[in-house]
Amino acid sequence: MKRSITLVSRFVLYLILIAPLLLFVAYTFSTRWFFPQPFPTEWTTIAFQRAVNDSRTFSGIAQGLSIAVLVSGFSLLLGFPAARVLGLRKFRGRKLVWLFFFVPTVIPPLAFGMGLNILFLRIGLAGTIAGVVLAHIVPALPYTIFTLSSAFARFDENYEFQALALGASPWQVFRKVTLRMMAPSLVVAALFAFLISWSQYLLTLLIGGGRVITLPVLLFSAASGGNPSTIAALSLLFIAPPVLVIALTARQLNEHGNEIREQY
Amino acid sequence: MTTVTITSLTKTYPNQPAPVLKDFSLSVNDGEMVALLGPSGSGKSTLLKLITGIERPDSGDIQFDGASILKVAPNQRGAVLMFQKSYLFPFLTVEDNIGFGLKVQGASSQTIRAEVKRMLDLIGLPGIERRRPGQLSGGEGQRVALARALVTNPKLLLLDEPLSSLDTEVRLNLQEAIRNIQRELGVTTIFVTHDLGEAMAMSDRMALLLNGEIVAVDKPEALYHRPRSVAAARFMGVSTFLSGDPLHVQNEACTSSQKVFAIRPEHIRVQSEGCAESLPGVVSDCVFRGEYIEYQVAVNGASVRARMSMPAPTFPHGAQVFVKFPREKLFEVAS
Repeated sequence: MKRSITLVSRFVLYLILIAPLLLFVAYTFSTRWFFPQPFPTEWTTIAFQRAVNDSRTFSGIAQGLSIAVLVSGFSLLLGFPAARVLGLRKFRGRKLVWLFFFVPTVIPPLAFGMGLNILFLRIGLAGTIAGVVLAHIVPALPYTIFTLSSAFARFDENYEFQALALGASPWQVFRKVTLRMMAPSLVVAALFAFLISWSQYLLTLLIGGGRVITLPVLLFSAASGGNPSTIAALSLLFIAPPVLVIALTARQLNEHGNEIREQY
Repeated sequence: MTTVTITSLTKTYPNQPAPVLKDFSLSVNDGEMVALLGPSGSGKSTLLKLITGIERPDSGDIQFDGASILKVAPNQRGAVLMFQKSYLFPFLTVEDNIGFGLKVQGASSQTIRAEVKRMLDLIGLPGIERRRPGQLSGGEGQRVALARALVTNPKLLLLDEPLSSLDTEVRLNLQEAIRNIQRELGVTTIFVTHDLGEAMAMSDRMALLLNGEIVAVDKPEALYHRPRSVAAARFMGVSTFLSGDPLHVQNEACTSSQKVFAIRPEHIRVQSEGCAESLPGVVSDCVFRGEYIEYQVAVNGASVRARMSMPAPTFPHGAQVFVKFPREKLFEVAS
């Protein structure tokens, strides 16, 4: 009985997750699909090919990917030391620092985006990839810091002391012990930052000022254009990298989950 | 190998009023195993941290073979640590764990393999190279941790309660193993514990540590039979002190200039008839421990603990008895 309930709920969950995707697939590879017909009647790849072959799509993907990779790299670089201190040390004002890092997740991007835009216009970063990367780091950083600091809270520094006492240099300790022990959480943190950057529309548009065009920007303009096949095709392309990344890192995600489960 | 000299070491942690270590001096001879015995918070672990360089002392000096190591980086000191937990790197096999120290010091892979094999034979676990730390039992993990520490041929081995998380049987086995390996390799060792039996069984000399200060340092037998002060005697399981007139019992150390005598619990006799060296009392507790019976007897308002080895007379709770303090077993202690 309990088993069948699990099965049914699992099925419903998958359906909710996958149904919109199936709809995208149906829209992408069909044409002239109108109301009373329950299923598309004509299947074609023309719309998909048109979307893929469009040079703007290609550059959108390329720019979006490179921005997302840079954002996740910089978020890790910036977040790692902060997370280490927050996770391992007790100090006065720790809660305040915590709150400070948490702020970007509650302040609407439009609010700080406007301010950033004015600043970036002055210093010449507006409309550049560097500017967009910097702007994306703002909402991405809290997630990397929180993921990594909860991992550091479970981390035992005695592993590092052991390595140090055995003759490893501080750099060797960092590379061979700290990074290795943190690897699953680093993957998860990088993934968070990547996904936040990849799906960022508003900040890209604000700071990019129409000169940095990523896939979400294209998608929004296509959505206002109203061709369902183009929208669906772009949406599929938009979903692809995150799905791929998650599929490739499923093992690390699982390890991260196990690590957290072990505590309880 | 190495002589360790610690002089006037003092360490205070920030936000703590009292120093964890006060003017601490100790010397450990080449190849000697010294046990540091003390309750938690007595500064034992802090001392090990200062020796490895994880923490810095406020003042004082630590020397290996006469040369100060305070300015030497932690990874160049050659002092290895073994904790209560094995801290084997979970992502490495047993072989790579043991070989870690040699690898980071740039040894060739053939040397590492040969050394790992030698160490595995030494700790009595040959053939487990490919296993993961997660597949080892607690005792095996500690043996591997010992091998990992010793493979680098360290100047000093520091053991921080390495056995306290193990079952009794495993612990006794490992006590013997550590002692034998330490003797065989002749590595100078400092061993921190709060277990008197373990300290006595394993060490050449024992240092008794209380509130960051050394109370006494001597061979286990000497400390056991003739501790020189009340504090040292308490460490060694003595709880009965007689002040002035040897047959005037009291539990607390007296503050006057009277002489204080102590007696080990196993030398105190509990009997039904009074005699010259006895005092009357009432049995307040009686615990059967197999090899001996432990009595708590109320004498002159103080509680006297006596251990009578079997076969021993049994007295029920509340029985009127006489407690005999054989004069030849009394020894004077500084109060």
